[in-house]
Amino acid sequence: MEKEVFEKQLMAYLKGTLALDEKEAFEAFLDQNTEAKKQLEELGGVWESLEMLEVPEPSANMDLQFFEQLDAEITKNNSTTTISWTEVLQRTLVGIFRPQLLYGILILGLGVLGGYFIKSGGSERSTAIETVNVSDTRELREKLVLTLLEQSSANQRLQGISEASKIVQVDEQVINALLKTLNNDPNVNVRLAAIESLSNYVNNPLVRQGIIQSIPNQESPIIQVTLANLMLALEEKGAIESFKKLLEKEELDTTVKKKIENTIASII
Amino acid sequence: MLKVKSGDLDKLGLLYERHKRRLFGFFYNMSGDPNLSEDLVQNVFVRMLKYRHTYSGEGSFLAWMFRTARNVKYDHYKKNKELIQADLSSWDYKMVDNDNAIAQMEKKDNLVLLRKALMQLGEEQREVIVFSKLKEMKFSEIGEVLGCSEGAAKVKAHRALKELKRIVQKMEIG
Repeated sequence: MEKEVFEKQLMAYLKGTLALDEKEAFEAFLDQNTEAKKQLEELGGVWESLEMLEVPEPSANMDLQFFEQLDAEITKNNSTTTISWTEVLQRTLVGIFRPQLLYGILILGLGVLGGYFIKSGGSERSTAIETVNVSDTRELREKLVLTLLEQSSANQRLQGISEASKIVQVDEQVINALLKTLNNDPNVNVRLAAIESLSNYVNNPLVRQGIIQSIPNQESPIIQVTLANLMLALEEKGAIESFKKLLEKEELDTTVKKKIENTIASII
Repeated sequence: MLKVKSGDLDKLGLLYERHKRRLFGFFYNMSGDPNLSEDLVQNVFVRMLKYRHTYSGEGSFLAWMFRTARNVKYDHYKKNKELIQADLSSWDYKMVDNDNAIAQMEKKDNLVLLRKALMQLGEEQREVIVFSKLKEMKFSEIGEVLGCSEGAAKVKAHRALKELKRIVQKMEIG
């Protein structure tokens, strides 16, 4: 087989795009050619490993900015007057830097910082209790979570959520406490952390249902967008009704409204 | 996209939801910088809006979108006169407070090494690898994005993969 033909077939083989007869012919060729087989094994290893490279999730802020820009463009498109590009830019910038969004970004930043500090704290704590057996540790941790979530300091409640995230199988009591936090905590940062923690247990119907039910009660744009992203990732059709209820609210931010409408359309 | 072209701009929101992760992954794998990747995703959609009249509906939408993404990336680095070279140290991992799983650390070690090797590939080779690993993209579409034939795209991908393997081996020895 010519070198270039082999290279093409090898790549199509790795990508899985060879037709059945071509695949069989290629495998028969490999059986008779040890050098070619060796190359397939070597390159195949790297190819498979590439699959495992992780890519983080884009932030909710990216969505907010996109829908702000889209909104500005639609408004511009609908207006009959001619607007210059500088004006569009000015509008977009005003949109981006309005207090609501800045507040959201600030909270997100605080969340990241909070998470970082809590993580370092958490590792010390886990060393302290490493002598206790696994079930005792879980029980202790659950008690710790419940106690911390009741505290008046937002930092301590964040710590409680961080502890909850370390539990592989949480019981109903902890789930209810996390859902209560998501619904009632006065601090957006804490509510965001609660969503993140609850998203670890989305296979539990109680968690899914609880999150869905909390959607219409949320008032913060960043929380609304985060929940929309979560439901989109889960392709949760059951959330559509809750989102529709949220859309009925007059005070809903127009950017978030657009985002939610698109989320509903994507889930359907 | 044809609906967007005909003035139904709302539909761009659907395209955004459908492709944002794919585009973000492309920029992230090319730059290693999540914040920059988010900005570039925004720029792709701004450009798609601006040049929506150029979309003919012929050929693949994915290929058209990634051609736009390539142009956005090119313009960004031209404007900022930087090389696409992420800070490799950012890939170094932090120890986790897990129940010390050596196997997990080894796996993580290998992935850190692979990520570093990927960043050492030339930009064009890295690009062809990133495109080839996208399940939704056929080699014919990769060819459309890169401006070459399907066969040439496969050959490029093969050579890039071989080079990546060589860098990984070199790093393992070193």
